[in-house]
Amino acid sequence: MTLLSVENLRVTFDTEAGLVEAVRGVSFSLGRERLGIVGESGSGKTMTGRAVLRLIRPPGKITADRMVFDGQDLMQASDREMRALRGRRIAMVMQDPKYSLNPVLKVGAQLMEGLRQRDRLGRAEAHAKAVAALEAVQIRDPDRVMDAYPHELSGGMGQRVMIAMMLIPNPDLLIADEPTSALDVTVQAEVLSILDGLVRDRGMGLIFISHDLRLVARFCDRVLVMYKGKVVEELAARDLTRAKHPYTQGLLNCLPRIGGPRQPLPGLDRNAEWAT
Amino acid sequence: MALIEIENLSVTFTAKGRKVRAVQGVSLSVNERESFGLVGESGSGKSTILRAICGMAPITGGTIRIGGQPLPTPRGRAFSRQVQMVFQDPYASLHPRHTIDRTLSEPLAIHGLADTDARVVQALKDVGLPAAFRFRFPHQLSGGQRQRVAIARALMLEPSILLLDEPTSALDASVQAETLNLLNRLRTERGLTFLMVSHDLAVIDHMCDRVLVMQHGRAVEELARETLAAAGMTTDYARSLFAASADRMLET
Ligand SMILES: Nc1ncnc2c1ncn2[C@@H]1O[C@H](COP(=O)(O)OP(=O)(O)OP(=O)(O)O)[C@@H](O)[C@H]1O
Ligand SMILES: Nc1ncnc2c1ncn2[C@@H]1O[C@H](COP(=O)(O)OP(=O)(O)OP(=O)(O)O)[C@@H](O)[C@H]1O
Ligand SMILES: [Mg+2]
Ligand SMILES: [Mg+2]
Repeated sequence: MTLLSVENLRVTFDTEAGLVEAVRGVSFSLGRERLGIVGESGSGKTMTGRAVLRLIRPPGKITADRMVFDGQDLMQASDREMRALRGRRIAMVMQDPKYSLNPVLKVGAQLMEGLRQRDRLGRAEAHAKAVAALEAVQIRDPDRVMDAYPHELSGGMGQRVMIAMMLIPNPDLLIADEPTSALDVTVQAEVLSILDGLVRDRGMGLIFISHDLRLVARFCDRVLVMYKGKVVEELAARDLTRAKHPYTQGLLNCLPRIGGPRQPLPGLDRNAEWAT
Repeated sequence: MALIEIENLSVTFTAKGRKVRAVQGVSLSVNERESFGLVGESGSGKSTILRAICGMAPITGGTIRIGGQPLPTPRGRAFSRQVQMVFQDPYASLHPRHTIDRTLSEPLAIHGLADTDARVVQALKDVGLPAAFRFRFPHQLSGGQRQRVAIARALMLEPSILLLDEPTSALDASVQAETLNLLNRLRTERGLTFLMVSHDLAVIDHMCDRVLVMQHGRAVEELARETLAAAGMTTDYARSLFAASADRMLET
């Protein structure tokens, strides 16, 4: 069943220095599955994710032939309808979690806000749910973290708070932008298993944006490979290490390996034709 | 004598009467021209150690010496010529309303260095960004592009010690490779010393001669690179990190 379908999505910025085409005709569809998006820095992964939520700030512009979420046309939806979808049905874990959290509000207050207002829970109940959400993402001392401001958290703790906050409303679609880049491998495994459970048991759709090709290969079902605003290859995640496209192969070749040689890592020869 | 000597360091934050013992009695030493890694649990105090060196965390015990000398408080200009840090969170560490040009040229102005223009262009080139990016603001860059600006800024003053907090976790494989190659080249050419944090054991293995594994504010185990690659760790925690990194071993 298709949860989200995107056809010919474009995101452009009209800047003083000229037109920046961040996303150039991306199409994909997503079911209740884990879709990975990989690709080099600046290839348009974040802008693709934000465009689905129509969270592109001016002068950025979004166009698409079609962008439909669960029967609702996202291109035609009013701002009010979009606000109703955001957070509740479609959530996004931002790439810079500490920047996306409110710096002057305690973590607990931010976690409880939706529970109190949207779900109309009492204080004690909202508090208990928020603490449980922090425990689920392996926060060691949830009571202290509830009482902390974002700047008092480590990088990975901020990331986990953001994930906890986005998962509380039980979204149908989660767009996670580098959600585990600041986590050590064992905590990362726990967080991934939560996401995995939500996809499997609750049928959530997951767009998983990541630089970590090996992680995407073992965690996702399908992968889109982006280059300069375009999808250059789409393949089953388990086939990622056997990718055909020279760009994807090039990315894989640049990775260091435990026990590998100390020589300079291979670079990537970018070919202008890939982008056309 | 080691270049960086940290002995029995403790850092305790106090927030509203609550004490957070972020670092508890950690010791490590980094030789000149060495590259030393910190890995471990999220929240275990890795960034705090780097911040403590820079005078940005409340040290409650122990000592930090560089070149045999205790560090002045506040750290001062001579310190920033010698030691520069690349922060974990590039967004928060770049001024949102300053252009990249201003971000990169400001340290030069503060320290009265000439050739601003040429140095800024060269710094951008070193980290693989087009010169035209000078006139952009941080919000006009992707996450990885911002991180490269942060690395470029740390290099502006040509320090001899770089403290690198997750320098490549926001970068894709190709830019990571370029950045790691750049860092290694600079280390050889300029005789730099690195203290770096990373969650990726393959990055640590590629970059570091020794690594300290941390958990919950404490040092768990120090490993030489060879011991790491040969799975010679003796503590359960270090072993669990290694086991969970199975996807980044050299295929044999
Ligand atoms: N406000 C803006 N004005 C102009 N260009 C922009 C703006 N925001 C983003 N861009 C450009 O759009 C392109 C795509 O950015 P995006 O953030 O989607 O990249 P990304 O694939 O997420 O990269 P990363 O992996 O580094 O986060 C980049 O080249 C970026 O510089
Ligand atoms: N300004 C602060 N006030 C209070 N507590 C703080 C402050 N800064 C850090 N801490 C706490 O210190 C502990 C260690 O944080 P630190 O940032 O050093 O962890 P880390 O090992 O770098 O983790 P990560 O890998 O997630 O970045 C955490 O529990 C954090 O909440
Ligand atoms: Mg991005
Ligand atoms: Mg940290």
